[in-house]
Amino acid sequence: MPSPEVATKVRDAITALKGADLKDPRLGEVLTLASQMSEAMQMFFSSIDRSLFDEMRYISSYIQRTRLEISNLRPNDLSEDRIPGAGAELHAVVQHTAEATNLIMAVAEDVMAADTSDPAAYQAFVSEKMMEIFEACTFQDITGQRIKKVVDTLTHIEQRLERFASVMGVEDAELEETAEDKRKRENLLNGPALNGPEVAQDDIDALFGTEGASMDQSDLDALFD
Amino acid sequence: MAVDMNAPVLVVDDYQTMVRIIRNLLKQLGFENVDEAADGREALEKMKKTKYGLVISDWNMEPMTGYELLREVRADEILKPTPFIMVTAESKTENVIAAKKAGVNNYIVKPFNAQTLKAKIASVLGDF
Repeated sequence: MPSPEVATKVRDAITALKGADLKDPRLGEVLTLASQMSEAMQMFFSSIDRSLFDEMRYISSYIQRTRLEISNLRPNDLSEDRIPGAGAELHAVVQHTAEATNLIMAVAEDVMAADTSDPAAYQAFVSEKMMEIFEACTFQDITGQRIKKVVDTLTHIEQRLERFASVMGVEDAELEETAEDKRKRENLLNGPALNGPEVAQDDIDALFGTEGASMDQSDLDALFD
Repeated sequence: MAVDMNAPVLVVDDYQTMVRIIRNLLKQLGFENVDEAADGREALEKMKKTKYGLVISDWNMEPMTGYELLREVRADEILKPTPFIMVTAESKTENVIAAKKAGVNNYIVKPFNAQTLKAKIASVLGDF
């Protein structure tokens, strides 16, 4: 109820009381009851005020703590420095690996196509080409160091996110499947398995029958059991 | 029946280095006529223009995967008989089973060696 309306009603009530017969005992009882109710209401509203205040103070404190924890995550450092840095390192690894592989393959192709009619010249040529392969293999040391930097960054991010999730009591939400997720699922795009193939070539050979034998549907179905 | 070593072989892989490796291995095995495609869609377009004696395809490619290419090939009455070998790092049982069900002739898990490639080609085309 708006305040002016409340004031009007109170004023009307006082006017009515002034015009009433104050000697009437029933009116006295009513006034006593009204007074008690007024005190009770005052206490009630005071308690509401206190609990609201406590609730607001808790929310404020929670927001402050969240801000502090987000600040501890150093999101700007992650998004502007560490993650782009890790991406650049991986890009360099891919580039160096490809360059080295292409160089080694080019050398191998040169050797395979070389003229073997003069054994001495051929041997000298092959020795020279082998040195090029050794030189190309030095990429491994550099890529190893680059990958270690990426692993350090991932470990850093993992630790901070773990702490954030733990302090804030965060639980993983259910995510809706994206179009990309759907494509990966439908096309069985699992990627290379860690620690080598999940199904060994020998087992695949058994499935296909290296001697030309093939499996029928029941054999295939049995593999799902 | 003798293997026609002059029949064109289509190598499908989005990783140029792998295409080069397979091309060199095929050359060593005696297959001189090697063509290449960078994904399933490009491979399918080429297959509609040229009759290949063998397709060697990777699985994980964009925009069309090797698995999608395999299903497209097996669903096409003209392309259906083309021998198809999958060469991939996808090594989960579900992948091998799915490829087998889709009609792949053989399946090679990366990394592989020349001997494995030769054996699988021989199992599909016959000894050469």
